[in-house]
Amino acid sequence: MVPLVLGTTLLVFALGRLAPGDPVQILFGDRGDAAAIARGRAQLGLDRPLAEQYVRFLGRLGRLDLGVSYAYPGKPVGELLAGAVSTSLLLGMLAVTLALAIGLPLGIASALWPGGLIDRLTRFVTLVGIAVPFFVVAAVLVLLFSLRLGWLPVSGWGELRHLVLPVVVLMLRPMAYIMRVTRLAVSQILVEDFIRTARAKGLGPGAIVLRHALRNAAITIATTAGLSLSLAFTGAFVTETIFAVPGMGRATVTAILQRDYPTIQAVVMLYTFLFLALNLILDCLYAALDPRVRYS
Amino acid sequence: MSVARRRTHIDSRTVGGVAVLGVLIVISVLVPLVSPYSYRTQRLDEMFGGVSGQHWLGTDHLGRDLLTRVAYGGGISFLVSGTAVLVQTVVGVAVGLIAGYFGGRTDAALMRLTDVILAFPPLLLLLLVTGLLGPTLLNIVLALALSGWASMARQIRAEALTLRTRDFVAAARALGATDGVIVRRHLLANIATIAMVRASLDVGPVILSESTLSFLGIGIQPPTPSWGAMIAEGFSHLRTHPALTVIPSVALSLAVLALTFVGDGLTEALDPRQRRR
Repeated sequence: MVPLVLGTTLLVFALGRLAPGDPVQILFGDRGDAAAIARGRAQLGLDRPLAEQYVRFLGRLGRLDLGVSYAYPGKPVGELLAGAVSTSLLLGMLAVTLALAIGLPLGIASALWPGGLIDRLTRFVTLVGIAVPFFVVAAVLVLLFSLRLGWLPVSGWGELRHLVLPVVVLMLRPMAYIMRVTRLAVSQILVEDFIRTARAKGLGPGAIVLRHALRNAAITIATTAGLSLSLAFTGAFVTETIFAVPGMGRATVTAILQRDYPTIQAVVMLYTFLFLALNLILDCLYAALDPRVRYS
Repeated sequence: MSVARRRTHIDSRTVGGVAVLGVLIVISVLVPLVSPYSYRTQRLDEMFGGVSGQHWLGTDHLGRDLLTRVAYGGGISFLVSGTAVLVQTVVGVAVGLIAGYFGGRTDAALMRLTDVILAFPPLLLLLLVTGLLGPTLLNIVLALALSGWASMARQIRAEALTLRTRDFVAAARALGATDGVIVRRHLLANIATIAMVRASLDVGPVILSESTLSFLGIGIQPPTPSWGAMIAEGFSHLRTHPALTVIPSVALSLAVLALTFVGDGLTEALDPRQRRR
């Protein structure tokens, strides 16, 4: 994990150097004489050797100093992104929680009654969720609920009503994966001997599913839920752009379009830490869910 | 192949997938050839034209024939995604075979490299590479392949690890075959099926990624049409002319759906271990 983080910081550092021209020239634009530019370079430490610059870059990262945005001169990147991160986290968490709340019971039900009405409905939703891109789902929902029926705003942020469409769009694909994996995991366990034993000793179907089937499927489902969260985060690139949500996804797309290198660097670092943290939490969760898993 | 055919119980979804895919490919090849319209000629006197004898699907906000643009955009999507999958399959198979067969430090180094690639969310990697290097067709293909080869390499490596302990590899070595011959002649032949199945499953997601890039304005650049960019352009006219968004959306969703069915069908036919239950 440590080499991974270091590798990423090196990559992100190189990313900043990819910028055509150097930061000072971009900050000054056409104004500024040679002396001022030289002073600016010295101030930012750009006249030092690359290795030293990298170490200083790491130091700034450690102090959570993410630099100053090129696109909005004078504005620290940290300030630009502070609200965006929590907005995206809120959206992502909400979408995955809802996806779990709906997908889990439906997945179990379709495993219990394969070929039934719920199973067929679940398969259809799964198919749509996996094959239809976020922005097509968004287009259909906006067309239907905002433009035709007028129930929900087309885009914007700040009120509760603004949350509905982005969350639904972000939820669909995670829900599809959760339903599919739950159905598969539970139906594989339902044919095991210990389920037959449980049934033979008179345990009701509810207890069998909850205590035996779900406990054994828990790891698979947790992995999918983790994957879903990362899906919701990357789905945010499109969803937040469409619905004008001031989150990290839109900030990323804007920063890339504007070639705002400090912001891009910050966003990549943030995503890397987010995903590492997610994996760490999942690993801990495995041990909690399954007593057989032990980390030495 | 005869074994594959015998094992296959061809279900209707696979047949439907092949049919839809075939129709879409024929349209995207044929229409640009026979259409009297170009995908880029703007006719401002024919903006937002409805369905008519001249324009079978109507015209867009710049008076361009929608059918021609949808077909041309589909062709570009298939071409870009197909090439990307080809590149990532070749790279993934080569890296996987080398890592799995030779093991040791080579393996460790190559697998750390895949770790770094897989740690990034694929869409972020795509956005960064095409966004910063410039959205040319070549860069888009390279970016798609770059974010896709690692998981292919992982799977092929796992296969190579088990294959290299098999008797026929020992036999080949006893007969004096060099490492290169064993990898190329024996391992590659045994891995080809799995690589094909993986590749067929990858095309759908890659088309999705490409259209997402184009939708965000970081992929294929106008006036060259692509389904993603056309949907994005249509968004601003969603209230008045939903067809501009709906038609490319339907084409894109049908293509991905058909590719999913074909991929699943191929998996079932060629790779009995991954049969659906």
